Amino acid sequence: MPTPRRALAAVVVAAVLLPLNACGSSDGGGSTDASGKVEGDITFQTWNLRANFKSYFEGLVAGFEKKYPGTHVKWIDQPAEGYADKISADAAGGTLPDVVNVSPDLVAPLAKAGLALDLDKAAAPYKPEYLDGAWSSHRIPGMTGTYAFPWYLNTGPLFYNKRLFKEAGLDPNKPPKTYADLFADALQMAKQSNGRVATLANVPTVEDFGRYGVELMNEQGTAFAFNDTKGIELLTRYKELYDAKALDPEALTATPESSGRKFLTEAVAMNPGSALDLGNFKKQAPGLYRNIGITDQITSTGHVNMYVMGVMVNSRTKHTPAAVAFAHYVTDAQNQMSFAKKVAIFPSTAGSLDDPYFTKGDGTDETRVRIAAATSLKSAVNYTPVLFSEQMKTALRNEVAKALQGKERPKAALDNAVRACDQLLKQQG
Amino acid sequence: MSVLEKVRPALPPAAAAREPRITDEHGRRVRGWELVLRYTLLIAVLALTVGPFVWQLSTSLKGPTEDIFGSPPRFLPAHPTLHNYARVADTIPVWDYALNSLKVAGANVVTNCVGSALAGYALARLRYRGRAAATLAFVLAMLVPVEGIIIAQFTTMRELGLNNTLIGVVLPGSIGAMNVLLLRNAFRSLPHEMEEAAFVDGANVWQRFLRIALPSVKGTLAVVAVFAFMGAWDDFLWPLIVLSDPSKFTLTIGLNYLHGTFANDERLVAAGTIIAVAPLIALFACLQRYFFRGVGEGAVKG
Amino acid sequence: MATSVVSRARRQLPLSPWLFAAPGLLVTGAFILYPFVSTLVNAFTDRRTLVPGRFVRLANFREVLHDDTFWTGLRNSALYVVGVVPALVVLPLLLALLVQKNIPGIAFFRSAFYTPVVASIVVVGLIWVWVLDERGLVNSLLAAIGIGRVGFLGDQWLLLLSAMAVTVWKGLGYYMIIYLAALANVPRELHEAAAVDGAGPVRRFLTVTVPAVRSTMVLVAALSSVAAFKVFSEVYLMAGPAGGPAGEDTTLVMLVQRTGTGLTGRVGYASALSIVVFVVTVALMLLVLRVDRREDT
Repeated sequence: MPTPRRALAAVVVAAVLLPLNACGSSDGGGSTDASGKVEGDITFQTWNLRANFKSYFEGLVAGFEKKYPGTHVKWIDQPAEGYADKISADAAGGTLPDVVNVSPDLVAPLAKAGLALDLDKAAAPYKPEYLDGAWSSHRIPGMTGTYAFPWYLNTGPLFYNKRLFKEAGLDPNKPPKTYADLFADALQMAKQSNGRVATLANVPTVEDFGRYGVELMNEQGTAFAFNDTKGIELLTRYKELYDAKALDPEALTATPESSGRKFLTEAVAMNPGSALDLGNFKKQAPGLYRNIGITDQITSTGHVNMYVMGVMVNSRTKHTPAAVAFAHYVTDAQNQMSFAKKVAIFPSTAGSLDDPYFTKGDGTDETRVRIAAATSLKSAVNYTPVLFSEQMKTALRNEVAKALQGKERPKAALDNAVRACDQLLKQQG
Repeated sequence: MSVLEKVRPALPPAAAAREPRITDEHGRRVRGWELVLRYTLLIAVLALTVGPFVWQLSTSLKGPTEDIFGSPPRFLPAHPTLHNYARVADTIPVWDYALNSLKVAGANVVTNCVGSALAGYALARLRYRGRAAATLAFVLAMLVPVEGIIIAQFTTMRELGLNNTLIGVVLPGSIGAMNVLLLRNAFRSLPHEMEEAAFVDGANVWQRFLRIALPSVKGTLAVVAVFAFMGAWDDFLWPLIVLSDPSKFTLTIGLNYLHGTFANDERLVAAGTIIAVAPLIALFACLQRYFFRGVGEGAVKG
Repeated sequence: MATSVVSRARRQLPLSPWLFAAPGLLVTGAFILYPFVSTLVNAFTDRRTLVPGRFVRLANFREVLHDDTFWTGLRNSALYVVGVVPALVVLPLLLALLVQKNIPGIAFFRSAFYTPVVASIVVVGLIWVWVLDERGLVNSLLAAIGIGRVGFLGDQWLLLLSAMAVTVWKGLGYYMIIYLAALANVPRELHEAAAVDGAGPVRRFLTVTVPAVRSTMVLVAALSSVAAFKVFSEVYLMAGPAGGPAGEDTTLVMLVQRTGTGLTGRVGYASALSIVVFVVTVALMLLVLRVDRREDT
């Protein structure tokens, strides 16, 4: 119980000291040794999965507790917004849960602060169970070690609106396969519709630069490099699209939701998505669903982009063996497979993608999309560098916008973005 | 003064008998054309202030087959349905979250009314050294940009062992500086004579506060209550950071689950916002009589 | 409780006022002022969210001066004050005059005009984004009367204007109430006298009403300019976290939030920005009150 005296002490005594050492303090806790007995109470935090998958996670926890008597797992789920703020406060305050659902960009700062357990040390025997690409997506340039188990992967096709393609005089059965095709089709679409129908709804992000074949960082991971000729070329092409209204005029302020809605209301002709979206189209826009075309992600590198979710173990956990065992349990082949069957995501465990569920067609579009995605995932890449922070994303986005608006030349914009990101990288230390 | 006395009896009594008299607060008749003008303006402003809410309500009542993007817009749903509300309730435990919000908001009302009244009374009535400094502390607190201090607040809360509790959610805003200043002004505007009489009768500070001062600022307390309820009910970031356990989540956090999960379903998001806003409007409707009186007491006067 | 202490304090011993003020001071001190002091300390360090800082003297403040986004933020926050404050000083006064007369149903209108104040800003933001959407209510109406659709949420200036409109919309009822209270104290005789002198409604408004509520207008100006300068939610919700096209709609508090939060947040630099915001707000408040005093003499 807090006593007034304690409150006063907090106010008076620590007035100057506290802010400087409030974080990164060494309040005891865990070892990296995961070989002890699996027991104790641990907390597992997921990111916006409760609303739809409550029973799955309750089953998961029950299964683990049954397998390891003496363990107790408390599952908590956080809503979509503010996740980084929540983790920051917990990390700074020393209240981070034992096992945490993270994305690679969240892992990097936690690992640097010594809050993430190095799994190359603590969980090396499990490594062969996962796809190589997935395992290495939680490595951090400039550090040794891997800091999270790979969990589910996602990638998806490019949806397009066949009716809009036809109306623009494009062959609805021959969607663009290369960037050159895409840009040409988009310009024609804009011209034929008098700028009413755009083909793309989003400005290029760092992932788009990667897919276009731009080297994003130098080899050592100490500086960004996307201001090379290829990067400038991509941005210049996007500027042409923007001027011709082939890139939606509201793209500069678009969010994934708003661009999704534009595609849904047939104001935009193409949108990246996943198998999940098909059901949404069917329900919300039957007209669109009848005319939906599905094609592969466009890439110049031969590798499509994928998103990786991970499960991290807090290095300060009091029950390292149980936390590691649970993080592994959540991400093992069997549990990932049953999760994948509930929702359109893909397991990151080796061999799982060869399961008939991901290889055998049944004539439906959903299955076709799933099979295509599973095939492409085997060589997919998470283009977004793990060191690319929120602040860097904003810096890049804003410089790209300036170039599209014509306020800056593409080269100058990318130079500025690289300079800003390098500085932020240095400040991250 | 004398002009006034002459004007008033000049009102034609015959007119009053002919038509139902519509009068202002001084019992003076309002002319017909002026009345029409006033109501026209009132309805125009009404459309502007309430229109967006009605639009949101209408969106939330529209079924999955109804076009919500059409032009011209349709305010009345063709087939009104509560289906979207049922889906919200299926997706998240709305009632549990609403109960938590109610606890937090209720506690916030009590602490703010009590704490601010005590502090406001001290600032307004009691003469003591350090009063200026205390007032300044509250004024400064009102100006602090909250966005910059949230992690420091969390660290403090953790040291008190109150993170992940509803008490931790309430505590930082439990006695708002703005509310203290509101009540200070209300107490200051009370005539001194009342309390002096009680003082002569031998009433101590506590008795004077409870029996004389407090009942006179009921209206301002209603204002504080509404503000406190609103503030606690609406807050998102702070409860999110303090709470970890979903069973303790408040409604604003809970409703955020709808975002990630049904990003493209305007109907569902609309239903969620209506759930969030309806209790506030209901509360305000109940308290509005006191509320407007409180404002009349000069609570918000400089 | 401490009644015995209080009763001894009949002659107002110094203890009882402190007892009365204690809970308020304790809460404010522990959860607002103390964290603010740590912000003040942080402003002179290079602390990040997960990395303890080192003392860097004035480096953060020097960086502020050379930070383009700071000047963008300052411009937008200042524009916000310029755009919003006159509207919030004048419109609610007119509205108060409109609802002042006790005609039937007026209580309903008063409450209805207050609804936007009661609704949370997040809800208001969601509603307005939906209303101003390219296919939302306003554009449907515009299209129905033959004006083309307007991309309110895509253009730098339209976005800022839309956000200001929402701020004014949400503030109308709040300041209306403040004026209503002030108007109740204006002696009616003044109006009568002016009417007898043959002054029309406009002249009476300017010569009677405005001077009578002048101090309230100053208060409203002070309150609304401080709030406008610290604007965050409206712009954040409507323009998005990046602050509109090319970040051109970023306000100062948005910049504080963006710089200082998240796992890679630069707490030190964001603290320095907070201090700048704080100083400007205090200055703004003093300026408005100063103008008031000068007009008095």
